[in-house]
Amino acid sequence: MFTSRLTLLWLLALPVCVFTAFFLMPLGVVLISSLSTQDGQFTFAQYGRILMDGYHWQVIGVTFRLAILSTLICVVLGYPLAWYLVRIVKWRNWRRTCVILLILPLFTSNIVRSFGWMVLLGRTGLVNDALLGAGLIDRPVRFLGTETGILIGLVYILLPFTVLTIGNALARVEPALEEASRDLGAGAARTFFSVTFPLTMHGVMAGGIIVFSMAISAYVTPALLSGGKVTVLAMLAFQQYSTVFDFNYGGALSITLLVFTMALIGFSSWLARLGAQDMKGN
Amino acid sequence: MIIRMIALTTLAYLVLPLVVVIGVSLTETKFLVFPPQGLTLSWYRVILEDPTYVRSFLVSAVLAALATLAAIVVALPAAIAMARYSFRGKAALSALLLSPLVLPHIVIGAALLQYGASIGLVRNFPALLVGHLVIVTPFVLRTLMPLFSPEQLSLEEASRDLGASAWATFFLVTLPQIRAGLVSGAIFAFITSFINVELSIFNTTSTLNTIPVQLFNYVQYSVDPSIAAVSSLTILAAAIAIILIDWLIGLDFLSGR
Repeated sequence: MFTSRLTLLWLLALPVCVFTAFFLMPLGVVLISSLSTQDGQFTFAQYGRILMDGYHWQVIGVTFRLAILSTLICVVLGYPLAWYLVRIVKWRNWRRTCVILLILPLFTSNIVRSFGWMVLLGRTGLVNDALLGAGLIDRPVRFLGTETGILIGLVYILLPFTVLTIGNALARVEPALEEASRDLGAGAARTFFSVTFPLTMHGVMAGGIIVFSMAISAYVTPALLSGGKVTVLAMLAFQQYSTVFDFNYGGALSITLLVFTMALIGFSSWLARLGAQDMKGN
Repeated sequence: MIIRMIALTTLAYLVLPLVVVIGVSLTETKFLVFPPQGLTLSWYRVILEDPTYVRSFLVSAVLAALATLAAIVVALPAAIAMARYSFRGKAALSALLLSPLVLPHIVIGAALLQYGASIGLVRNFPALLVGHLVIVTPFVLRTLMPLFSPEQLSLEEASRDLGASAWATFFLVTLPQIRAGLVSGAIFAFITSFINVELSIFNTTSTLNTIPVQLFNYVQYSVDPSIAAVSSLTILAAAIAIILIDWLIGLDFLSGR
């Protein structure tokens, strides 16, 4: 079965056609319209409008700040949880339950999850009640409509990705390497930082890339938790398509978002490759 | 010990909002409150008797099912080609087919809207379907690609030598070997489509709406516990899907030693 070039052609025909027609061509249309005026003249004016304007840089700044912070927090919180699941949990069924609990949010709509936070973070919500009850604050903190609120929601939505990728990497670390390090006299901390952590670095990077690319393009969570008071790049682009109907300017915003995402993914995988070479070099 | 505490707190943080949503859906009050005041299932009756919710739910389910089937039809030949052939541009093709995983859905949605407007593929069911097909195909492809092994080739050859046709060989020999992966990829694809907002929102209307988009529109303007009831039903659906996957492929992949 499946040996000739002709079969190969048959196999590839449908996927290539579908992705050309419904993925590449639409993106091409957006690119062209982002470089056009309303009446079809070639121009860089749409990009000029974005890059010359302080408001846009502020929105880009907020978007990046949220994405960078959520990536860092997801790694910092995700690593201990991954460690716990892979190294500490002894009872198989409990680990299985934990993994199910970890994946359950991923299988639930962003809306549902953000909605849960809308209830929790409200003025009289559980979070404020708890903080007040513990005596940590005197009056309710405003979370909704602030970057903190969006950050809580984003971290919540993206955390499972880092736990899964780091957990996968941890589960594959060769125990002999750690034992060797301990036998040679390194302490637990030293073994972790010079053996285990570098060996799981690709998991950290993979999770970080997923989280970053999803955080930078997130729309639903910021839209729901911002209450219209904080704007991120994806919200700005969506406005142009849904209410302003300026496809040229909206296109330029979309392409900007796309370029930022791809540039960051490219940069991170370059870093990861560099790290991998480093490891081989040593 | 500290790690255990951080881990369990983090786990609680992951579960808390879902518990809250389910709790809110059971309240007797007309406003959102957690913990719920009184226990009632009446909000579930409200949504089950609301034809717009029922219709959106059906649209979402049919859309997700068709998008998943179409994604299998697109991804299966691509996976076979990439696992068994070497050809020029393979890396580029694989990057192209997997790229919807990392590219902003809102950009893909906007692009499809703008492009579809020129060919009448806008604000109708086919428009929703092609968009969802593009974003769920990578999920099926990713689970299928590692499943085609060289050993299968000899089994397939044996089947052909014994006189089976190419199609019979595919359905009787190849397919059973990739079934578990195919089903779990399909469940991922179905769920991804079922919970999508960013893409659907461009092509939905008041009469053609998906459940997440309808929720999204409701949550922004008015909130009452019926939204929590709809949300809880989707959480239930998610839980069933995960238990199915666990049963099919086992979710114990994090066990180290």
